[in-house]
Amino acid sequence: MAGQSGSQLSLFTPDEVEFVAEDELVEIVPNLRMDSLNFICGDYGPFYPQIAIQVPLWLALALKKRGKCTIRPPQWMSIENLTQVLEGERESHAFQTLPFHYVEISRLLFDRARDDIPDVYMVRSLVEDIRDVRFHKVETNLENFTASAVTWKNMAAMEVNIIRAFSGRALQAFYRHENEQAVPDLDRTQDRQPQNLNDRPRRNLRPR
Amino acid sequence: MKIRTLKLREAHKPSPGYGAANGSSFCSILWDQQARHLVTASSSDSGISIHDALLPSTTPKILRHHRDGVTALALSPNSTCLASGSIDNSVKLYRFPGGEFETNITRFTLPIRALAFNQSGSMLAAAGDDDGIKLINTVDGSIARVLKGHKGSVTGLAFDPMGEYLASVDSMGTVLFWELQSGTILHTLKGVAPNTGLDTSLVNILSWSPDGEMLAVPGLKNDVVMYDRDTAEKVFTLRGDHLLPLCFLSWSPNGKYMATSGLDRQVLIWDVLKKQDIDRQKFEDRICCMAWKPVGNTLAVVDVSGKYGLWESVIPSSMKSPTDDIPQSSKKSNGLMLFEEEGQEPCSSGSLGDLGEDSVGESGPPSRKRIRKRSEFDEDDPAENTLDGFGLLPQRMAPKRTHYSAREHLDKGSNEELRSTAMSVRSKMQEAFQPGVTPVQPGKRRFLCYNMLGTITTMEYDGYSHIEIDFHDTSRGPRVPAMTDHFGFTMACLNENGSVFANPCKGDKNMSTLMYRPFSSWANNSEWSMRFEGEEVKVVALGVHWVAAITSLNYLRIFTEGGLQKHILSLDGPAVTASGSKNQLAVVTHASSCLPSSDQVLEFQVFDIRNGTRPSRGRLPLSPGSHLIWFGFSEEGLLSSYDSKGVLRVFTSQYGGSWLPLFSANKTKKSDENYWVVGLNANKLFCIVCKSTEVFPQVMPKPILTLLDLSFPLASSDLGADVLENEFILNNLHLFQIQKRIEESSSDDGRDTTELDDEAFSTEAAQDRCILRLIASCCNSDKLVRATELVKLLTLEKSMKGAIKLVTALKLPNLADRFNSILEERMLIETKGMSETAGVAVSQGSGLARNGTASEVPSGPSCIPSSSTTLSAPRFFKKVVNRGEQKGRNDHNLQTAREVQPEVASSGGSTELRTAAAAGTQELNGTSNPFLKSSSNGPTKETTSQRPPSNPFKKSAK
Repeated sequence: MAGQSGSQLSLFTPDEVEFVAEDELVEIVPNLRMDSLNFICGDYGPFYPQIAIQVPLWLALALKKRGKCTIRPPQWMSIENLTQVLEGERESHAFQTLPFHYVEISRLLFDRARDDIPDVYMVRSLVEDIRDVRFHKVETNLENFTASAVTWKNMAAMEVNIIRAFSGRALQAFYRHENEQAVPDLDRTQDRQPQNLNDRPRRNLRPR
Repeated sequence: MKIRTLKLREAHKPSPGYGAANGSSFCSILWDQQARHLVTASSSDSGISIHDALLPSTTPKILRHHRDGVTALALSPNSTCLASGSIDNSVKLYRFPGGEFETNITRFTLPIRALAFNQSGSMLAAAGDDDGIKLINTVDGSIARVLKGHKGSVTGLAFDPMGEYLASVDSMGTVLFWELQSGTILHTLKGVAPNTGLDTSLVNILSWSPDGEMLAVPGLKNDVVMYDRDTAEKVFTLRGDHLLPLCFLSWSPNGKYMATSGLDRQVLIWDVLKKQDIDRQKFEDRICCMAWKPVGNTLAVVDVSGKYGLWESVIPSSMKSPTDDIPQSSKKSNGLMLFEEEGQEPCSSGSLGDLGEDSVGESGPPSRKRIRKRSEFDEDDPAENTLDGFGLLPQRMAPKRTHYSAREHLDKGSNEELRSTAMSVRSKMQEAFQPGVTPVQPGKRRFLCYNMLGTITTMEYDGYSHIEIDFHDTSRGPRVPAMTDHFGFTMACLNENGSVFANPCKGDKNMSTLMYRPFSSWANNSEWSMRFEGEEVKVVALGVHWVAAITSLNYLRIFTEGGLQKHILSLDGPAVTASGSKNQLAVVTHASSCLPSSDQVLEFQVFDIRNGTRPSRGRLPLSPGSHLIWFGFSEEGLLSSYDSKGVLRVFTSQYGGSWLPLFSANKTKKSDENYWVVGLNANKLFCIVCKSTEVFPQVMPKPILTLLDLSFPLASSDLGADVLENEFILNNLHLFQIQKRIEESSSDDGRDTTELDDEAFSTEAAQDRCILRLIASCCNSDKLVRATELVKLLTLEKSMKGAIKLVTALKLPNLADRFNSILEERMLIETKGMSETAGVAVSQGSGLARNGTASEVPSGPSCIPSSSTTLSAPRFFKKVVNRGEQKGRNDHNLQTAREVQPEVASSGGSTELRTAAAAGTQELNGTSNPFLKSSSNGPTKETTSQRPPSNPFKKSAK
């Protein structure tokens, strides 16, 4: 699955990342009565009308498409929380805590369940703002990219995906450069080791 | 000083959208003249709440007409007109207590900060950040005068009780005395009150003493300064333990006491004459407004976060009540102005007049208003009427002539008398309601009916409303087209087959109507309606093939699905509510008027419509001081009720028919959630969780159901295993119900009870698991007697063996011995019981389960405690017998027993059980059971020897 588009390194397309994100659980309110569904990934249900239940996003969207449920927007997608996160993102250098797949989940919900999200325009613009701020942060981080100095905590899947190719290659380059230095070092140590080895028997020999 | 805590209820949530960003907002609170209602508002909330002071748990009526926070409230002296001022620059008038919006009486260019009615209610003073205080005629809304003189925003206004002056204070601390007649400034006191600057949540206020002799103003030294009425000279100060400046003060109705609240979050009560503080209370937040109850010894407070509370018995009983000797300023005021004198006349006819403007506090047609008011009085009982005459605010000058003598009497009378009259007002019989209805909210859709099946919602427009019926399960329920309703239906009920609607009568033209709409019918036009002349439908209910309506004449009318008037019964009392399920109809009525403790006295009865019987009736229990808010059937068909204190009760036939409290909101409540009950099943309560101030759900967004576990209100036991104990009682309840159903269905028409048997068996197994865990926790906390009692309640031999193993592992050999002997006794009874049951089954052929149990009990040795045997053994036998019967091989005693036992074991799903139990018997057999041995003789001996002794039932078959 991986590496279909990225020839250089293992790079996911956004669609693939989205596909992965569809396994995240969301809460839905079904409007039908249905026995439990048994999947490889687990059992979900039974479903009762008007009683909330957690299902994977793909199932939620499938049911939604058939008009069998409404999706409850996740907690973090409230306007209050998002404004707070946006402020935090703007103020501090670090990344705020958001779900790993927030870009994909919000995108999917905006596309296919917009009527279930209260104040969808506001929420959407907030999420997009947050995404822009964070992407910008990722890019600026990349400018002063050194293997040790950058904190990558709380990065989301899509953000990781953006820099995956670059950082992978960069790290390889670092590794190569280090190796160039390390190889002589290794040589030296290798040189030393035999010397040491040679020394020992000598020492051992001396007392004899 | 005593430390008390006062519980505050949230009335207004500070929302970040409005003004106050720091979470503190200026909130106001008011009593109406008869102390029946409390009005609250907050500068961070656009809604004004009218709380029912008698039923504090009911939903407040919320008036949302302002577009921004409400900063000022004022109630006309006769409590018929409410004025509110807001940050949205407008002053609005409402009728009170109904809350109907009347008019936008004036507008400013900047937010309003203060409002005040004069003594007759004819004039309203409004002021705020604008310069100039507007004096407005309440009748026509004309501006009588604009008083200009303040430099800062005016935050406090007070009409002098004698009607001569108006005092005002601004945010810079300047107090002005105005003469009303001329509109001139009499005195200017610059900078006497603290400068509050720009913080709008903090306002300067001032207040005239009820006799009008003094004006109280917060001083600069965290004190209260009294100024003389005429000379505006400082008279004295109240200085004490306030550490920070004052933010509110309020005179008691008689002017003997004063309550002050400071920025230091304390409220102090002062004896004004002694200039001493007599009581104090600390609060979590700053109290920004207070109001003394006009009748009684209570202070209502509201803090900056919008929480309000009642501080009961503020003044110690050793001192004079704050409502004693209310000054009658009308008698005192010799320098009364002309229009005041005139004001007395119309007052007696229920409205007030002033200076050519005829009626007061009402911009609607005065004649209509008067009629309304009079009819209100007619409805009141005499006690209330006298109270109305007496329990006036001090400002109210003119008593009603008709009640003059009564007032005099009360005036002289003791305080107790007053209290007793106040009490009689307090208790109010609950009005009829439909389960699952939400109150009317202007401009919003509301639920007429919400049950486990679906919803009926309505939305009112001018002259008609729009009704929609939706099923939760959209895939199964029929799709019902929306309907336009010209009747104004307020009651509705819904089931799978149809819906029923009813409206109350409104005048002569609009009679009360009952309408039934089936969802599907083979015939066209199968909906029908009934009209009631001189009668009003109070409650409707719906069942399978019947419709019921209870009317104001206390008739229970039962119709068939097609509209045939089938029965009319007379009920004992006025209806409260009703609910239907299948062929059962449950009705709740008032049994009598309320108790003095304001407890409702309700009665319920269940009718079986199909058979024309009344299976049960009795009193409906409620928590003290609460009222019924939901009533219905559980999914299993058990009658249930939910009261305003959050206790769910279910009616069972245990103890000859009693209500069990199965859920208590207080025990599970998370912070400030309210539960709006929709239904329940055997284990769960279905409800809609409403956040904090809301008591009922809104139609949009669509509410979702939350499942809550049922739990008995258990005492906190020394065991610390509340969950297990709860499970234990619940399981017992389920077992009881299953057993009852088995009995019913077998006695009914000999229906197949296999499913019920299986259910009983699995419940028993669950109960045994629960008991074993309880035994373990009993042993751990050294409650050995309790453990023994629990062992006796175990059903399965396997569990008893398990219990013995458990106590052995816990190193309690004494207990293990005891358990062993209990098990032996059990085995003995079962052997006897089994042989006899089998015998009965064979001899009768019909094999009624009850015979088996009946014959079993006396057969046991007398020394054995019967509780264990009756609980466990009979059901087991019953099962055996039923199975045997099914098989139809009841030709021989032995054969039956043998046929039956493997099935029993397999239905339990555990062959392990069989072997374990068998092992137990084997042991017992070998060691210490003389009875067993003695019983194993007779003709069946050969059969036992043929088989290895691997099974308890084998043995019992001997």
